[in-house]
Amino acid sequence: MSTPSSLTAGPFTSLVLVKKRYLIFYIYLIWISLFSIQLEFWWYWNLLYDWKFIHFITFLPLLIFIMYLSMVFVSLLNAKLLIIIVNLIHKPKEGIFSRIIDQKISKEYRYWCIRNIIKRWPIWLSHKFPLPFLDNICFKLFGVRTKYSNSLFESWVDTDFIEFGKEVVLGQGSIIQSTVIIGNLLIIRKTIIEDNVKIGAHSVVMPGTIIRKNAILAASSLTTIGQELKEGWIYLGVPAKKFKKNIFYEDNLEEIIEKQMHDVEEIRQKYEKLYTKRYDKDI
Amino acid sequence: MNPQEQKNKKTVASTSDIKQEEKDYSINFATSSAINRINLKFLLLYIPILWLSGYMALAIFFDTSRLINNWFITALLIPVWLFILYFIFVFGLAIFTRAILVIINMIHKPKEGIFKAEEGNQDFEFWRLRTELKKLTLWFMNKGPLPWIVTWGFRWFGVHIDFSSHLQDAWVDVDFIEFGRKVTVGQGAVVMSSMIVGQYLIIKRIIIDDYAVVGGVSNISPGTIIKRDTVVGAFSSTNFNQILEEGWIYFGIPSIKLKPNKYAEQRQEKIIRRDVERQLKYEESHEINIDPDKKHLINNNRKNEVK
Repeated sequence: MSTPSSLTAGPFTSLVLVKKRYLIFYIYLIWISLFSIQLEFWWYWNLLYDWKFIHFITFLPLLIFIMYLSMVFVSLLNAKLLIIIVNLIHKPKEGIFSRIIDQKISKEYRYWCIRNIIKRWPIWLSHKFPLPFLDNICFKLFGVRTKYSNSLFESWVDTDFIEFGKEVVLGQGSIIQSTVIIGNLLIIRKTIIEDNVKIGAHSVVMPGTIIRKNAILAASSLTTIGQELKEGWIYLGVPAKKFKKNIFYEDNLEEIIEKQMHDVEEIRQKYEKLYTKRYDKDI
Repeated sequence: MNPQEQKNKKTVASTSDIKQEEKDYSINFATSSAINRINLKFLLLYIPILWLSGYMALAIFFDTSRLINNWFITALLIPVWLFILYFIFVFGLAIFTRAILVIINMIHKPKEGIFKAEEGNQDFEFWRLRTELKKLTLWFMNKGPLPWIVTWGFRWFGVHIDFSSHLQDAWVDVDFIEFGRKVTVGQGAVVMSSMIVGQYLIIKRIIIDDYAVVGGVSNISPGTIIKRDTVVGAFSSTNFNQILEEGWIYFGIPSIKLKPNKYAEQRQEKIIRRDVERQLKYEESHEINIDPDKKHLINNNRKNEVK
């Protein structure tokens, strides 16, 4: 239930190219967002002359809540403006690019890094907020197609070239990527996750995977680049393979599943077969 | 019979087998227990809780800081105050969420079972409400520096847990979980007592017995019972309703027996040895009234008996 640091340590945007001159973006965004807080507090402090001290205390917690929200929104809008300018200079596109050409950083890689650096501060801010509403607004503004009802709070999601359908469940600590770096290559491909897809805990979705409707990717499994998971199947393993058909969308299955709860002996027998296999091999 | 007919029969049998296999209802895989829908309805409960607990912390601060008139001392005490205010704020959150949870549980009692994960299903909706409410406080507790606060929070929200066990680095559901003594849950492990499979929400109690260890980045599905002295290895996951036997090391997806847990035996031996050493020891000595010059004979006899 609690989301500890070991699961939420990663920021949402990946960051590779660290250079001093990119600090300008950070300084601009942080200064602008903190400035909004200062303005609000100054306005509130001025009200003190008319009010009593007790009023000041009663409304301060609510004001802190609003101040945080305003900080996120101001930084978000400014980041959006910067991204529009950057995208006008160089349009982001899918494909396979090399990072370094003739001992110089290639244009595509540099602009990908700049985009990520701009997105980093507002997304970090919104993820440090305990409620999951801000995350979805961030993703929507930065070009991930989602519904507000989707919960992306528990997992690590890239901010470009991703499409989500309705009622998608992302498990705890799962990773959904649309970009990956392999040696000198930067691969950017669109990942599409359609309606009603359930992704298990600790599973990794690589760029270019298309997960069709009603599919399930079981816990701690991995898809390869450009893999297509077919409609209505359960996938499992590293790399993910067809496990069995997803029949859990049928109605009136409660009794059949509930039987499994009580037939503990049957399940134990099933696993005992597995145990003996493994046990004989090892010892 | 011709060989061709036999072949045909075989193919027919195999296709029927496949059809039976397609309808495999057993749940031998694990998914996630994340909330699948975010609602703005929750804000109605969040804002009063945040406001009240924030007000509590600030009111205590302003009431007590007025007593000290010297501004220099108050400025010196600000870091201490921030530390204390954080904990007052967290305790306020815990108290107010507990109050709301009691009311919610009176309206609808939480129970184990299989429910439809749809809008309008009462069990599903209340499960979502409970988890979202508990999440807020535990999030704040986890961001704090002290590990006992998290364990206290789990106890406060109704998980059966002792202060000797450790779950600070893992993602653990707060409903229907029972921990024994000295349980260790590894970094990034996910212990979930509820799971969404297709249309259905499965809730079942998890029991983790004494001295059990759950490795890092492993998944524990609802209904698993981990018995005494067992170890679940890293990167492995247990299935729905699986029972892990006593004193074994389990590994893999799904987790199966790897080898007996010898390390636990060593610990048990140590405990037994310690208990033996603690026991009262008394030496018995018998004195026999005989002549002093014949005493060495008795000692010689004893030595012979021992040999």
